[in-house]
Formats: sequence, structure tokens, C-alpha cells
Amino acid sequence: MKSQNQAHLKEEQVIWAVIDEKELTGEDQQHLLECQLCKRKVEQLKAELQEIGETAMVSVPPLTKNITLPPEEVPQASYKSRWLPSFGAAAMAGLVLFVYFLGMETTMSPRFIALQSPDTPMEDEYLMEEIFEMVENPLSDALYQITGDNGGFDEDFLEFIVPDIQEDFQSNNFIEGGIKQC
Amino acid sequence: MATEKNNIALKVAALAEKARDGNRMSFQELVSIFQEDIHRLVYYRTYSQMDAEDITQEVFVQAYRKLKSLNDTQRFRPWLYSIAVNRCNDFLRKRKLLSLLQFKSAQEQEFMETGKGMSNNYNETIAKKRFWKQVRSLLDKLSAMEREVFTLRFMDHRNINEIAAILDKNESTVKTHLYRALNKVRKDSVFFQEYRESLS
Repeated sequence: MKSQNQAHLKEEQVIWAVIDEKELTGEDQQHLLECQLCKRKVEQLKAELQEIGETAMVSVPPLTKNITLPPEEVPQASYKSRWLPSFGAAAMAGLVLFVYFLGMETTMSPRFIALQSPDTPMEDEYLMEEIFEMVENPLSDALYQITGDNGGFDEDFLEFIVPDIQEDFQSNNFIEGGIKQC
Repeated sequence: MATEKNNIALKVAALAEKARDGNRMSFQELVSIFQEDIHRLVYYRTYSQMDAEDITQEVFVQAYRKLKSLNDTQRFRPWLYSIAVNRCNDFLRKRKLLSLLQFKSAQEQEFMETGKGMSNNYNETIAKKRFWKQVRSLLDKLSAMEREVFTLRFMDHRNINEIAAILDKNESTVKTHLYRALNKVRKDSVFFQEYRESLS
């Protein structure tokens, strides 16, 4: 047996003994078993820590509130059916956009698309072209065919609008004679 | 004693398993087993009865909602304690921020609250207030981790293995923090006078 004065545990070893005796070396563990003084130190520290714990326990005010659990959750629809409305809405939105863009493609002429572009000189050029076209030919091709206009003056038409002076004179006499005859 | 502990552990695991499968009554039973422990744990960190009760409620609600994520029901206790410790840390962080903004610090307010509803005995109330003041001055000497392991070990009475599970640290880390904590507090705390005398 060792002499107690020679091999007493140091303070740090006492603390380790309180935390976990297995942390001490085999020799120190053996000493702790045999040395009353060291054992008393360890027990003293343990007792004071124990006292803190026990005093704390009785110094806590009692729990006055009842613990209430949240209400039971209503079982939700399955994963598939939960996604169904969203999927339907997305499909409908996609369809609307598809129809919209399809319509735009058929109604928009390349000229109009050119007009939509931010290229301003092209836009001006197109407008001027339109104006010249309207000046030269105010009617569309279909209407122009109906008029039967060949580009020059129709003499029969002019004669009908502005009759010849001689013809006009003869017809007047004929009318006057006719009246006289009557 | 050990057999009794084992029986309780088995009972808790069985209840946790049933509760995880949706049995509300089993969870209610777990609440009745742990509510005092959790309330104390929270009070040791907040020193406020009102806050401790509110946080205890929140801890059980969170545990109830997250129970399905607990794989090993035998670890229900450390799992529940870890929820409580994390809740307390969140709360203390918020309170610290608030105390910076408010004229009257949260610490003063909570100290005034301490002792309310404890007892009608004036002397007892004073003694309890004094005790908590001493505990606070003791714990204020420690870092956050040292304070946590010290409180879990000596006030919540958890063993090293459980503390490691609660804090998600390994056992040797826990022991090291505990050593540092004890080394600091034993020197000048009013609690360890007899121990210091025994050394001299």
C-alpha cells in the first residue's frame, strides 16, 4: 500500500473522479479506493453538486398549465389527388396560351410583324409604300375589275355624261316639234 | 434501482412507438411522464415561470408533430430533451436581442418574476430567490457549452451518455466541457465552501 501523503490525488484528478472514475489511471483508481482523504474530497464535491441539483428541483415553481396537444389533423387527400387541381389549372393555362399564340401567327402578316419590330425606318418605308399604293390605285383589285376601267377614258361613258351639242340640239327640236304636233 | 430504470425505459419506448403510430393517448401518457422534467429543464434556463410553461407547451407540441421522424423509440427521452434544449436556446437568443432594445432588461424582469406562485411563505420565497441568484452567478462564469453540460449533468441529472445524445456530441467532448465547468465553479462559488475547506 502506498503512502497516502506521497500519492494523494491532485485537484484535477478529484474533478475527473467526480465526472467519471474510469478517466483516472488504474493506479489513481486504486488509490481512491484506499485513501480515505481523497475519497472524502471526491464525495464532498459530489455531495455539493448533488445539493445544488436537489435544491434546484424543489425551488422550481410547480407547473400550473395543462399541456394541450394540437387537434388531430384531418386526413388530407392523397398525393395524386392533391396535385390534380393544380395540374388541371396548369393545363388550362397552357391551352389558353397555345390558342392565343396560334391565333396571332395566322392573323399577323410579315409586314405587320415588321411593323411591330423596333426598327423604325422599316416601319416608315412600309407606310410610305402603302400611301403610294393608295394614291395610284385607291380601289382594291376586285373592285377595280367591277368598274371595268382599262386605265384610259371611256368615250361612251363621257358622251353619256356630257352629250354632244348637236345631238342635244336635234333632240330638243324633236321634242319641241312633238309638242307642236300635239 | 437499475431494473426499475430499465422498466421505465421500456415503457417509454413502447408508448413512443404507439404514439408514433398515431395513438394520441400514448403520447398523452408520455406528456404526463415528462412534463415536470421538461418544465424544470426550461426553468433552469429561463428562470421565468411563465416562459417555462409556454416553452414546455411548445416542446410537447413540436414533439407530437415530429414524432414520426424518430426512428429509434428507445431514444425518445434524449430526443425530447434535445427539442427542449434547442427551444430554450432559441428563446434565450430572442430574449437577449429584446433586452438590448428594451429599457428594462429581460433579466431584471425575470428576476422580479422569480418566486411568484412558489409559496406564500415569505422567507422561503426569499431563500429561493437567493438560491437562483447564486446559481445564475455560478453559471455566468461558464461558456455556453460548459453551462449546458453542467446543467444537464447536475441539475437535470442526466448521465454522460444521455448528455452526448442530447447535444449530439461525443462523450469525451462532454466530459472535457464538464471538467472545465467544474474547474471554474469550484474556485469561488458559495456552493463549494466545504469542499474548498476539505482541500486546505
